[in-house]
Amino acid sequence: MRCRAELYRTNSASIDTAIALAVTAAVLLLLSNAYPLVALQLNGSVRATTLVGAAIGLYNQGYAPVAALVLLTTLLVPLFQISGLLYVLVPLRGGRRAPGQNELFRALTHLRPWAMSEVFMLGALVALVKLSALAEVIPGVSLFSYGALMLALSALTSITPTEQFWRWVDGGGQ
Amino acid sequence: MSTYVMGRTVGLLVCTHCHATVRAIQSSHALCPRCGARVHERRPHSLSATAALVLSAAALYVPANLLPVMHMHTFFSEEDDTIMSGVLSLIQEGSWPLALLVFVASIVVPLLKLVAMGWLLISVARQSPGNAQQKSRLFRLVEFIGRLSMLDVYAIALLVSLVQIRSLATIQVGLGALCFGTVVVLTMLAAQSFDERLLWDSHSDD
Repeated sequence: MRCRAELYRTNSASIDTAIALAVTAAVLLLLSNAYPLVALQLNGSVRATTLVGAAIGLYNQGYAPVAALVLLTTLLVPLFQISGLLYVLVPLRGGRRAPGQNELFRALTHLRPWAMSEVFMLGALVALVKLSALAEVIPGVSLFSYGALMLALSALTSITPTEQFWRWVDGGGQ
Repeated sequence: MSTYVMGRTVGLLVCTHCHATVRAIQSSHALCPRCGARVHERRPHSLSATAALVLSAAALYVPANLLPVMHMHTFFSEEDDTIMSGVLSLIQEGSWPLALLVFVASIVVPLLKLVAMGWLLISVARQSPGNAQQKSRLFRLVEFIGRLSMLDVYAIALLVSLVQIRSLATIQVGLGALCFGTVVVLTMLAAQSFDERLLWDSHSDD
């Protein structure tokens, strides 16, 4: 009221919607890592990379911290968020509490700014434009599934705000 | 007449995690009864922790922009790319919307974050009354846009792992990329450790 920030927002989204979105995001995350992001064609030789491949590329050149940063923000944090939410929400739907629920949800809230799928998509766009000057670029399956994952994740975080979660807890999963 | 009260003048605290209102207890290790998070009237050492993180980030901002972030080696040429020269080469290729995006994300945003956080810290330390509402808005903006700076790190990661065609073209990571990534992480941590409520402590309403 005083600083004009939104105090909180709750919505009518049910816990089922949240679970469905989390499952969708999990499948997309799996797809995004199973297929190459982009391939590069130059003088007949083709080179493709996946998300993990990009991190390995950095690691191989001796930049382990940067590799870890990329791996964490694009893969591990989203993975932890999806599985953590599922672990908490599924029992909650049946009116039960998962062991360690409160600590886990607190960790999830703290980690939220560290999942950077949308920034990654922009970075990929920049890289693709730079490369197109050099060689032929072929976008891979996982570029699209990663884009969809970005949408699913942001929908998921917007329907599970902290306040909403604690209402679900207080209301016994209603 | 003011339409709100300050929690600490009436003995109430708000859990920064789950937003439950908690009756203030004298102990400094109060736990929120709903979610079990630690409840503080003000986060301890928020000011010094944030200041330390901002200063380290500011120091690293210089090499992050001066050192090359990558080194490209092709059949025809060999060149070092800093963040700024990457922006310039995007302009040369005619994709100025992307050049603008990279410029804002990698150069303007980190600088804006450092200056804004520094100013907020100084104004809290000097307890200058100022316009707390404006400061609060600035802080939320800084918190929100900070992640955008990771963009360049991702672009570099993809370039490095894709362009490894021996004898034709290879790209090596530069030390600048490490500095730059560290700047982004440090400024994000700084925004997280800053207790926004401090902005309002020297605020008066009349």
